[in-house]
Amino acid sequence: MSRRSFLRTSAVLASGLAALAASLSPLRELDDYVSLERFMQKYYKELTPDEMAKVLKRIEREVERQYGIRPHVRDLKPMDGVEFVYALNLTRCIGCRKCVHACVQENNQSRTPEIQYIRVLRMPHGSLDIEKAEHNYAPESVPEKGYFYMPVQCQQCKNPPCVKVCPVHATWQETDGITVIDYDWCIGCRYCEAACPYWARRFNFTQPSIPKDRINPDMAYLGNRPRRQGVMEKCHFCIQRTRVGRYPACLEVCPAGARKFGNILDPNSEVAYILRTKRVFIQLKGELGTSPRFFYYFDV
Amino acid sequence: MDDRLLTDRKRDQPKTILALRGLVVLFGALAVAFLMNLWGRPAPLYPIPLVDPAFLDTATNRRSYADLVRAKEDLSDFDCYACHEKNKPPPLRFDEHQNLLIPREHSDIVMGHGEHGRNNNCFNCHNETNLELLQTRDGRVLKFQDSPQLCGSCHGPTYEDWEAGAHGRISGYWDRELGLIKRQDCVNCHNPHSPTFQGRKPAPGPHFLHEQVQASADPATGH
Repeated sequence: MSRRSFLRTSAVLASGLAALAASLSPLRELDDYVSLERFMQKYYKELTPDEMAKVLKRIEREVERQYGIRPHVRDLKPMDGVEFVYALNLTRCIGCRKCVHACVQENNQSRTPEIQYIRVLRMPHGSLDIEKAEHNYAPESVPEKGYFYMPVQCQQCKNPPCVKVCPVHATWQETDGITVIDYDWCIGCRYCEAACPYWARRFNFTQPSIPKDRINPDMAYLGNRPRRQGVMEKCHFCIQRTRVGRYPACLEVCPAGARKFGNILDPNSEVAYILRTKRVFIQLKGELGTSPRFFYYFDV
Repeated sequence: MDDRLLTDRKRDQPKTILALRGLVVLFGALAVAFLMNLWGRPAPLYPIPLVDPAFLDTATNRRSYADLVRAKEDLSDFDCYACHEKNKPPPLRFDEHQNLLIPREHSDIVMGHGEHGRNNNCFNCHNETNLELLQTRDGRVLKFQDSPQLCGSCHGPTYEDWEAGAHGRISGYWDRELGLIKRQDCVNCHNPHSPTFQGRKPAPGPHFLHEQVQASADPATGH
């Protein structure tokens, strides 16, 4: 080969390689790399307890590397004889949105952009027409006269359309009624977001950012461990709290006591009392046949 | 090697050489453009201020007398007989429209219990012979920490709901076998003299993913 052809070839090769490297430059913005361990992880329902322990350790390491805090990640199984139901008293909700932000704090949601699982709708008196709802109300003082407030989050339907459409079974409903997502299995196709009639599912369009001092280190695998760009997330009834017997964060913070949660199979629970004694119940979009576990009621 | 093959290659012909050089320059320029992020950047996310921690607080609507006792705060304001005489029921004064006149010493109390101010007699609830106790209309005498029974003596259905957990707030464990609960008393949320909740400022609402031009923002989607 002559010197000229060598130089020519190498110039072409160099420019070609430079162009290739440049075209991959968006990957520089990718904070989160796929480790081999995560890539080769088996489906959640096939993991043995030992493998699950390794997975939890991996997550603890990743969270510590990213946020500087060593969390406690558990894989909580559903309790026997428990089926969760959420009841919300529409005469009491004042629309203060404390539940929204307690949820954001408890579940390690991204703050920029801010993902909120709960959306409080301001509805005019006398109508349950969602088209009349206002999402962005910001008055000086709530409640406002002539309106009532309806917080909407994942209804954990008994007949969930989101589970039916997931092409990879990354989401399923567990025996205690909570529809869960395995964030490591989700491929981010957003079919579930399209299928959900309540817009309960949120997608991570960007890498979530959580301020280090507001991380909640008490995490569950199917719950509030930090997610990454490209996966779905949604309300999971605070699985890290409810599966150890505690109330979800939204209930604990409500100043009006509008939220009620418990095991419907227990006749002594407050939700069983409510469903027995109150007379008017609303299941949002009940005509669609999703059978939500969320009951809105009035104190009449 | 066959010379003909080497010299007649398409690559050595002038137009081809020109085209290839042009392409190299173009790719080089594209490479520089990508490396310097000259276009096609994702829209920047606008910073969202962190929410005020007051919105994350599980505090109740107000602090009751029992809360003050538990917190061992200064209760000298609540010593009735520092000013009143024992066994001498304080007189009540009304104006010409039957409205209760609150004495100057108790000016922090604003009465608003009941429609049209119907419940405007202090001794409907307070015991005039012993100001440190409460009384119901059916003659029961109650201590201050048993005040829910007093409220329940008129608000029966609400009291039943409260006992069952359907009214008010219970925090802690839904599974009573795994932990303790804290049930709020009536006065932890309702001011007994003016029970209706006051308005409050709501926490921030949903944020759009990217900064919106105000005129075209669609408030219904918020995404």
